[in-house]
Amino acid sequence: MGFLWTGTWILVLVLQSSPIQAFPKPGGSQDKPLHNSELSAERPLNEQIAEAEADKIKKTYPPENKPGESNYSFVDNLNLLKAITEKEKIEKERQSIRSSPDDNKLNVEDVDSTKNRRLIDDYDSTKSGLNHKFQDDPDGLHQLDGTPLTAEDIVQKIATRIYEENDRGVFDKIVSKLLNLGLITESQAHTLEDEVAEVLQKLISKEANTYAEEPNKPISVTESQTGKIPEKVTPMAAIQDGFTNGQNDETVSNTLTLTNGLERRTKIYNEDNFEELQYFPNFYALLKSIDSEKEAKEKETLITIMKTLIDFVKMMVKYGTISPEEGVSYLENLDETIALQTKNKLEKNVTDNKSKLFPAPSEKSHEETDSTKEEAAKMEKEYGALKDSTKADNPRGKTDEPKGKTEAYLEAIRKNIEWLKKHDKKGNKEDYDLSKMRDFINQQADAYVEKGILDKEEADAIKRIYSSL
Amino acid sequence: MAARGGRALLALCGALAACGWLLGAQAQEPGAPAAGMRRRRRLQQEDGISFEYHRYPELREALVSVWLQCTAISRIYTVGRSFEGRELLVIELSDNPGVHEPGLVYNICYLFLRFTSILTTANLHCEPEFKYIGNMHGNEAVGRELLIFLAQYLCNEYQKGNETIVKLIHNTRIHIMPSLNPDGFEKAASQPGELKDWFVGRSNAQGIDLNRNFPDLDRIVYVNEKEGGPNNHLLKNLKKIVDQNTKLAPETKAVIHWIMDIPFVLSANLHGGDLVANYPYDETRSGSAHEYSSCPDDAIFQSLARAYSAFNPPMSDPNRPPCRKNDDDSSFIDGTTNGAAWYSVPGGMQDFNYLSSNCFEITVELSCEKFPPEETLKSYWEDNKNSLISYLEQIHRGVKGFVRDLQGNPIANATISVEGIDHDVTSAKDGDYWRLLVPGNYKLTASAPGYLAITKKVAVPYSPAVGVDFELESFSERKEVEKEELMEWWKMMSETLNF
Repeated sequence: MGFLWTGTWILVLVLQSSPIQAFPKPGGSQDKPLHNSELSAERPLNEQIAEAEADKIKKTYPPENKPGESNYSFVDNLNLLKAITEKEKIEKERQSIRSSPDDNKLNVEDVDSTKNRRLIDDYDSTKSGLNHKFQDDPDGLHQLDGTPLTAEDIVQKIATRIYEENDRGVFDKIVSKLLNLGLITESQAHTLEDEVAEVLQKLISKEANTYAEEPNKPISVTESQTGKIPEKVTPMAAIQDGFTNGQNDETVSNTLTLTNGLERRTKIYNEDNFEELQYFPNFYALLKSIDSEKEAKEKETLITIMKTLIDFVKMMVKYGTISPEEGVSYLENLDETIALQTKNKLEKNVTDNKSKLFPAPSEKSHEETDSTKEEAAKMEKEYGALKDSTKADNPRGKTDEPKGKTEAYLEAIRKNIEWLKKHDKKGNKEDYDLSKMRDFINQQADAYVEKGILDKEEADAIKRIYSSL
Repeated sequence: MAARGGRALLALCGALAACGWLLGAQAQEPGAPAAGMRRRRRLQQEDGISFEYHRYPELREALVSVWLQCTAISRIYTVGRSFEGRELLVIELSDNPGVHEPGLVYNICYLFLRFTSILTTANLHCEPEFKYIGNMHGNEAVGRELLIFLAQYLCNEYQKGNETIVKLIHNTRIHIMPSLNPDGFEKAASQPGELKDWFVGRSNAQGIDLNRNFPDLDRIVYVNEKEGGPNNHLLKNLKKIVDQNTKLAPETKAVIHWIMDIPFVLSANLHGGDLVANYPYDETRSGSAHEYSSCPDDAIFQSLARAYSAFNPPMSDPNRPPCRKNDDDSSFIDGTTNGAAWYSVPGGMQDFNYLSSNCFEITVELSCEKFPPEETLKSYWEDNKNSLISYLEQIHRGVKGFVRDLQGNPIANATISVEGIDHDVTSAKDGDYWRLLVPGNYKLTASAPGYLAITKKVAVPYSPAVGVDFELESFSERKEVEKEELMEWWKMMSETLNF
């Protein structure tokens, strides 16, 4: 019986959905002013600021952006917003996101149209019909061809809603319903998510006064990275690189979010001055060892990454995804790995210095043959007696055996390097690759020694071979 | 607070994407075959493969050489130690291991990825896992050597750009364990002279026959068949049981952990003493000495066994005389046989795989002589190399896909059942599953506790595997939606009617 009632009333609601803007809530009256503010003349101003900043960022990068990429995002957003607007008229969803009267938007778009026009100029005219419309009509955005809102408006609305409700589930619900109805594709959903996150980020950061000057910082930092293809690729630089090249919409928005977040954290770090990093003695030592003047960027990168990791672990512990002990042990492992890496780095420097001191190749091979002889003597002892029984007819002499091992390793390494050189995309960076390989091999060799896969001497021999290349 | 959490997650996704992109950029891709690669032709050696017996140090050395030559696609690890302390070495070949990590920053990035991979929906596990295990009986030496040759061969061919091999390595994670019983091998190999005893070195250092040492799940299954009960994933709470079981050899324990840790799909267990490809079940139902005892997947197993034997000329030769004059090979068909039809084996590794995990395993007998003379190794390699590759390729058959919820999150341990085949497989950690099937039309059902099951019809060709994904709706989701609607209705009512 109860369900029959529910059903009837829901039916009634559906039929009467248009006049009802939102479901009344117990504390509904409090929300009303905020909702109504969307309709007031004040809102466009706030929106303008938000959009202006978004535009400023977008505007700085279109020259570097491949026109196709940003175009895709914008056009899809327009399609998306169309879909959303249509859909919202049908569904009894959170009505506050529904398009408000056009006149307010007109004002906004009037102000923004000049900025958007510049963006349009970069678009590939063959990309889509919608874009074509815009290219023909420079003021197309505020001459509403049935599109009452710009993409940014929709995004702003959703973000505001999420912010007010303090519930990310709002977004998930909307998007999943859209996906289920087939109105947007998954990639469009991702793009939307990124943009909403971006605006949300701004909303939140705006709220915190201490970070008032934040929005400008990430822009200037990333601006300096424009067009640079860094030799030493660190994730930070790569993120910024990806950002400037606009390779991936997701990366773009995510990195903006990331940069904002990291910037904020860096701010904390400056104030606290190693408060948390003191718990990572090895990392701290490593930081100290990095020359501040020459490798400031690397230092900064390392700090930010560590901070991110620490925050992440804290977050996970907070939300109960992992237990505090797991978090601690993970961070401890991290520190240990850093210690190992630092040690390897130092060792590498030492061996590099050694090879610098003994450049003559004859001396190097001397070293190797010496070690080979040692190993030969060892092996002969081990295998001499046993070998005879199993090898009835072995054409290869026994004396080949011990030399054979180092030789075999040498041969294998040679083949590897040869193959890597042939198939490495960054063909002209041979020296760099070699040092990468060296580090990797050193690390792996040590790991293998620990696990009992390699003998210490073998590992050393391999490391020597690599460092001599 | 959820908004902040979401934001942090997004930030991390960004970092993740960046890391993944960076690391991906380091992965090697094969191009044109390496021209002008010197081929040293020494006696008994070809392309770095030396056709001779490898004792434990040489075995290690050979695997290390393969790794050194193919760092981009290989990784050595150990699943444990034998009774006498020798490492049970495995070499893994796939395009995933050996990703270059050039410096400290990269390492953190990589650790980051590893740590967060369990928490994100990034599918780092998109390739099926395959394993070869040899030399379980220490004196059955051919399998051990063949696997060492195979590792070298795969590395060489990959670098030459051999399309079949490149594709295999890019689409599969191949784990090769040349010897499960290195102690036994040492004992067998230490015998003077060329003629080796039929039994010396067969069992491990404790005298345990490893292929009778696995928990006998066949017996449980046969009981379940009569009285009702499952016939898959029969070992629950197994880590504890396995570790506490004093009768299990360390080698056996190591393999059981290995099987449970990695979601293997297909496997083969190499032996010697005859020439046939043997498939489940190994133990007779009635307890008699010989009796064809088919498992629910008899059809696909026959196909798998044939895929091996067909490429091995002596094995598939219908006119081949039996290895020994009085041998009974009446059960052999096209070089294949049902295990129990040949002779009953309880506690074997092959059936243990099938009944405790998703892995389908067959047993391959490679040589009439268990420890043949060294100069015959090259011809054994020639006879078997095509079979070994062909069997590897069988993993890309049947149906595969992902089981996810409506939000796109993977559902691990979902059950995938096939109508008409009374044996289910489960999805792995990332929601991925593989179901080997012979060609035909099937109905697949994916289900998980708390979710509504979904059935889909699939037409399966011989190969490649057909992709079928499932998106399951959870009970609670539906309940939540209904609850919300009810709440909203109630509020509306109360507002309207002023109560």
